[in-house]
Amino acid sequence: MVHRMANILFIGLSLSSILLLIALGLSITYGAMGVINMAHGELVMIGAYTAVLSGLYLNLNLFLALPLAFLVSAGVGLAVERVIIRQLYGRIIDTLLATWGVAILLQQLIRLEFGLSFFGIHVDGLGPGFQSFPIPAFLSENFDILGFTVQPYRSFIIVLTIALTFLTWFLMYRTSLGTQVRAIMRNPQMAAACGIDVNRISAWTFAYGSGLAGVAGVLLAGFKAVLPNMGESVVVDGFLVVVVGGVGSLFGTLLSAAVLGQINGVFAILTNDIVARAIVFGVVIFLILLRPNGLFGFKSR
Amino acid sequence: MLDVQNLNSFYGRSKAIQDLSIKVLDGAVFAILGRNGVGKTTLLRTILGLTDKCEGSIKLNGTEITGKPTFERARAGVAYVPQGRMIIPDFSIKDNILMGGFASSKGRKIPDLVAELFPYLMENLERPGGVLSGGQQQQLAIARALASDPKLLLLDEPTEGIQPNIVEQIEECITRLNRELKLTIVLVEQNVDFARKAASHFAMIENGTCKVDGKIKALTAKIVSQYMTI
Repeated sequence: MVHRMANILFIGLSLSSILLLIALGLSITYGAMGVINMAHGELVMIGAYTAVLSGLYLNLNLFLALPLAFLVSAGVGLAVERVIIRQLYGRIIDTLLATWGVAILLQQLIRLEFGLSFFGIHVDGLGPGFQSFPIPAFLSENFDILGFTVQPYRSFIIVLTIALTFLTWFLMYRTSLGTQVRAIMRNPQMAAACGIDVNRISAWTFAYGSGLAGVAGVLLAGFKAVLPNMGESVVVDGFLVVVVGGVGSLFGTLLSAAVLGQINGVFAILTNDIVARAIVFGVVIFLILLRPNGLFGFKSR
Repeated sequence: MLDVQNLNSFYGRSKAIQDLSIKVLDGAVFAILGRNGVGKTTLLRTILGLTDKCEGSIKLNGTEITGKPTFERARAGVAYVPQGRMIIPDFSIKDNILMGGFASSKGRKIPDLVAELFPYLMENLERPGGVLSGGQQQQLAIARALASDPKLLLLDEPTEGIQPNIVEQIEECITRLNRELKLTIVLVEQNVDFARKAASHFAMIENGTCKVDGKIKALTAKIVSQYMTI
């Protein structure tokens, strides 16, 4: 019983980890720029496809696919920011619709294999269908310690997430770049009046958050089907975490990802996925009614 | 130092500044006077590029700055102490001061002058800015502006809503900054007595344009009663 419970919590923790990586990016871009990025899930999807394609064509393993996916998703994110979002600062509903459009566009581009299927060209590993990404053997074989089953791949996810969360904390709270991001989150006009290049810092922030989404995509590809529309549900979960945690609060995001991931994981195993999601939504609604600014959100921007 | 010519400035489609021209000389304390809502704050925000749209010319030391983004104007030496102070409440006092440093070419550090002017802030560097009283926050906002190593200081009603004992300190501090640092100051003010004491020049604003300007000696009781009494 204890062993089974530990296993369930462990799986929940790995789900929380991926959720956290997705939500971190959303939280800092929404906090810093007031942009609700509906295409964030597609950046996760692009990360997953980067892993699949780099495995097929470049023979890259998981450890090389991770930094590559970070760069690819960050690059796509940066391009979206430069071309579309930059024109729409301060118009939150417009950015929501525009990024939703970007999300659909990116999904269709992958589904149509970058549009090449019009010319009868087929790219292996792209397009619809279940793509799988092989994880290295030493990460895929479970082993037992004191009767507890250790799943090395899920442990890897947790460790990597802890490392990236620490890196994000360090960047945000211990570097000059992070101070500028946090200043923009609180008061963009005063930040500009203090000599902070709001546009440039926002673009880097957006690219970093997108890169984290790409990493989450690679990790998801290790145990989930890679599909063009895999980002849809992911972005909703990400926003739930951000809203419950409080916009712009690293600690709030961390805590809320842990709680929501665990609730999802535990109830999915004890009952089923559908009930688990219903319970998660119930908890979220309750928490938002209780604390409209999120658990650790600061007031207004 | 600052030469504003035929300035028009907009919030959305409504024009808040109309065909306004002023000239601020090096080392001056230039008082912007007028009733509430005539565009005094908008003028300062326009100089920094914080309004939606602006037409006309703003020259800083002969260089045209209209069209430049706000952060470049700040780095060119314009520092802003806004109405309501705009301190970041959950940043420490130290971080609030150092925010100004992003505009400084000398790097981010607390200037010696700040330590001399505001010993209270220096003794409480790690406390959050939000716990300070209004007067202390005003001092903090001035300290932040000084950390940017400015050439031109824009002050928006620095003594508004502040306890009387600190008002005097802040007035004294403004005078010292001008005399000792040779800092050029543009001061939006409702308090005519203080403007007379501290300023060298004035401009009287009404309906978003400059009605009368000149040396502070020319600020007669008649002008004050015409443009400032309600």
